[in-house]
Amino acid sequence: MIYPKKYDVIVIGGGHAGCEAALISARLGVKTLMLTIFLDSIGAMSCNPAIGGLAKGHLVKEVDVFGGEMARNIDETGLQFKILNKSKGPAVWSSRAQADMTAYKLRMKYVLEHQNNLDIKQEMVDEIVAENGKVIGVKTHLGNEYLCDSVVVTTGTFMKGKIFIGLNEYRAGRAWEPPSDKLSDSLRSLGLRVSRLKTGTTPRLDARTIDFDALMVQPGDDEPVPFSFKTTKFNRPNMPCYLAYTNETTHKIILQNLDQSPLYSGMVESVGPRYCPSIEDKVVKFFEKKQHQIFLEPQDENSSEIYADGLHTSLGYEVQLKFLRSMKGLEKVEIMRPGYAIEYDFVDPTQLKHTLEVKSIRGLFLAGQINGTSGYEEAASQGIIAGINAAFYIQKREPFIVNRDEAYTGVLIDDLVTKGTKEPYRMFTSRAEYRLILREDNTHLRLAKKAYSAGLMSKEQYLLIDEQKKKIEETINKLKTTYVFPNERVNKKLLELGSEIIKTKTDLAKLMRRTEFNYDKLREIAIDLEDVESFIKQEVEIDLKYEGYLNLQKQQIEKFKKYEDMRIPEGFDYSLVGGLSNEVKGKLMEIRPASIGQAGRIPGVTPAAIAILVVYLKKINDKRIRNTA
Amino acid sequence: MYDDDIIAAIATGYAVAAIGIVRVSGRGSLELLEKIFTKKPPYEHRKIYYGHITDSNGEIIDEVLVSVFKAPNSYTGEDSFEISCHGGLSVLNFVLERVLEAGARMAQPGEFTKRAFLNGKIDLSQAEAVEKIISSKSKRALFIAQRQLAGKFSSKIEKIREKILFLMAENEVIIDHPEEDISSIETKEKLNMLIDIKKQLKAILKSSQYGDVIFEGVVLAIIGKPNVGKSSLLNILTGTSRSIVTDIPGTTRDVVSGNFNIKGIPCTILDTAGIRETNDVIENIGVQRSKKALKEADIVIAMFDASNMLDERDTGIIDYAVKHSNKVIGVINKTDIKKANFMLPFDKIVEISCKNETGVDKLEDTIADSVINLESDTDIVSLNANQKESLKKGIDICDKLIDDFKRGADPALIGVDFISLADSIDDIIGKISNEDMLDTMFKKFCIGK
Repeated sequence: MIYPKKYDVIVIGGGHAGCEAALISARLGVKTLMLTIFLDSIGAMSCNPAIGGLAKGHLVKEVDVFGGEMARNIDETGLQFKILNKSKGPAVWSSRAQADMTAYKLRMKYVLEHQNNLDIKQEMVDEIVAENGKVIGVKTHLGNEYLCDSVVVTTGTFMKGKIFIGLNEYRAGRAWEPPSDKLSDSLRSLGLRVSRLKTGTTPRLDARTIDFDALMVQPGDDEPVPFSFKTTKFNRPNMPCYLAYTNETTHKIILQNLDQSPLYSGMVESVGPRYCPSIEDKVVKFFEKKQHQIFLEPQDENSSEIYADGLHTSLGYEVQLKFLRSMKGLEKVEIMRPGYAIEYDFVDPTQLKHTLEVKSIRGLFLAGQINGTSGYEEAASQGIIAGINAAFYIQKREPFIVNRDEAYTGVLIDDLVTKGTKEPYRMFTSRAEYRLILREDNTHLRLAKKAYSAGLMSKEQYLLIDEQKKKIEETINKLKTTYVFPNERVNKKLLELGSEIIKTKTDLAKLMRRTEFNYDKLREIAIDLEDVESFIKQEVEIDLKYEGYLNLQKQQIEKFKKYEDMRIPEGFDYSLVGGLSNEVKGKLMEIRPASIGQAGRIPGVTPAAIAILVVYLKKINDKRIRNTA
Repeated sequence: MYDDDIIAAIATGYAVAAIGIVRVSGRGSLELLEKIFTKKPPYEHRKIYYGHITDSNGEIIDEVLVSVFKAPNSYTGEDSFEISCHGGLSVLNFVLERVLEAGARMAQPGEFTKRAFLNGKIDLSQAEAVEKIISSKSKRALFIAQRQLAGKFSSKIEKIREKILFLMAENEVIIDHPEEDISSIETKEKLNMLIDIKKQLKAILKSSQYGDVIFEGVVLAIIGKPNVGKSSLLNILTGTSRSIVTDIPGTTRDVVSGNFNIKGIPCTILDTAGIRETNDVIENIGVQRSKKALKEADIVIAMFDASNMLDERDTGIIDYAVKHSNKVIGVINKTDIKKANFMLPFDKIVEISCKNETGVDKLEDTIADSVINLESDTDIVSLNANQKESLKKGIDICDKLIDDFKRGADPALIGVDFISLADSIDDIIGKISNEDMLDTMFKKFCIGK
């Protein structure tokens, strides 16, 4: 039947991308429907029971500022919180939390169910219907046709998903859940390029059969920090993880049984992630290493299941059990669910705009693993951008585009749509050119204005953040204009604080730049200096201590923006530009970059080609101006 | 700024010659040709046409041959043609004026080559090398430019760049995988790699100074008391030199006594007191001029007479030389009369006889070796001021990074410094192109190239 209620936006899938897309679309006031294969799996964590991590923490906080749910959800359901890289500079601090994955998905489903403008139905979408280059609806396996103006596809690993455990293979989108066998064919017939990727997960172990006394305890931070800037009441447990090691016997078992690994027997030919290799890969490629770390992580406060991080494997059940039991502390371990490899269809993301809309079909957006990424956080950040833009498309508003100089989300999306990916794409801090500015600690400070102007943040929230920003600036100015003098008291105190004496009149900002200094120590020197909340102290310290480097990055951003602001008209005809090689022309026509800056990031497009393009665009621009004058 | 409007220039030198060429390029240039040329279209690519250039009244300006090149297979990549006229300067100028009158504009220096670059006909390093080849003053310089054109230098920089990328990657691993025990090389080893990179950059800077010597030349000054044989030496040096080059235009040197090549190094010799005079020197003026020459010269040749004992004036010259120059070659002349029985306080001393022309080869060797002290020319490069600036910046950043590593600085900041280092290396081989840099670069070309 043709369903009588017409929707503005339909979100296909209820994973981390789908949840954010559906929520933000509904929150922006458009009629939204989520269609998913299995309602009980909404917000499910198919792999590791953790949110955040290096560079991923940044993404979670950005999703939070853009009105998403992931940060709030983990703040309510986390089992331990930790800031990674704390020994290094603040630019690369990253938050990570272990999640109670059952509580996590239940709360997420609860939030969705209590969201206005959002309907949720358990149905599998087989086909996307488009007419005249525009989306008009979807058809489900029950024969229902839902009409809509926009669709956000977030299928994760479900399209033609195939699971491998040893030499056994079966069709599934996630362990024991049916795959979506028809949708990718529908995408293909809409003209999209679809290929295969693979990923894997680890065995889940029974806590009752692990000798934790033989393992090293890995607790979270004593003073946990929440992800969301909205979280006020925060009281979560600090459940430990444990560290185990593989050994030479483990490696021997794995090497002897490689013929049982579909990755090595040739059954799986698609590409998996280099940075998250299977244990088979680790043992083969890093042959010289005598041991590998395995983190044993709780999955659920009330369950015995333990996630064995670092043991992604596609080896058969018997081999998995054998190599697990070769490890210290796991001698008697029982597997509750085996690890597996999964192969699935993804869409080449260079076919998308920065809004995550498919270039050739209006109203069709893709987000998450379908775009070749890996990770819950990468999925969520795409989900929110796709959801916002789907809603804006309905509301006929300007697209919401996040740039590389603004957020990790911008880096992620620009990389995907400009370069595409040959393996599951994971976020790293090293992918962000301006990472000293794009820090986790200042996420809400740097993005509040953008979020508020787009209607993604309430006025109250915005004013609070603005207040903080002003306070930081004020405090910095104060430190720059408050002086201490080289008298006996000051110099005595300086020596006490393990610093050097001053010989001339010195402003407090200058003292702050000394490695050993912080705001509280300044207050011991300058007694009148007012006390401020600890977040303000931290930001003032970072801004002053890194001032030189931050200014350098600001200059780089200005340079970057110059080329981003040189827009290339949509539908620009590259064949008219003389002097470009056919190879470069081909690449430009395929990616159709939105700006000269983006064109320069396309692999294989040379600086000379960019110079030619700049010249040509200026020329037609000048002509246009001349003609209109 | 690049446009494809029609540009024109006299492509041959400004001297009377048998033939001269006016070069024209740009969109619509063949339509322009039609207006001024008695031979009417069709014009085909790479064909030569005979006819006359006429003024707007149809009066003949010159009898010419016109070579036609069509886009994209011309030097500039645009439609273009070359008019071979009679070589008189006024004829050439009349033809050029006619072309300008018909709608072309005067080309900027290097504009033809700039268009070739912008139209993808040549890359940046080729463009640089083209300029170097044009400006080569000796075979040695030409060979060095050709080697650079062949990409020998670029691949060397590329290797350094790879090392930097390796170190960058090592640094990023520490940041992005804090919990993995990915084996990273020892800090000490990284430090050694950095020190090595710095050493290589410094070596390149040094060889670019040699490049300056080869392409820009060196300035010599001969000092010595009257009658010691300065003018004889000057005559021998300029006279025996097989490739006397013409005056460098725009040289602001005081009085240049001669230009010549020693082993492919262009040398300019400065007139110093007493060189031209034979006797009765007014000592005071002489000393003034010698002092000035000493300051300007890269190498000072201090001459003495083997047949006499050193006198006060000789020791005065020794004092001046030592005080004002760090590259002094002591030359003892008139060894045909007598072997010198005095010692000179210079590192390099050559005994010659101007009369018998002996020892001059050794003196030339000594001059050449004192400015370029290399086994072979393979490493010599010619870099422009921007490139040298980038090299120096790179060396500074290396120092900063070495310090960062020694005190265990924040890897996030080390990362920023590495990016700056890689950027400065990229600047050297012109990976990053911006308008200013391009304009500056192409301005070095002579008009019509």
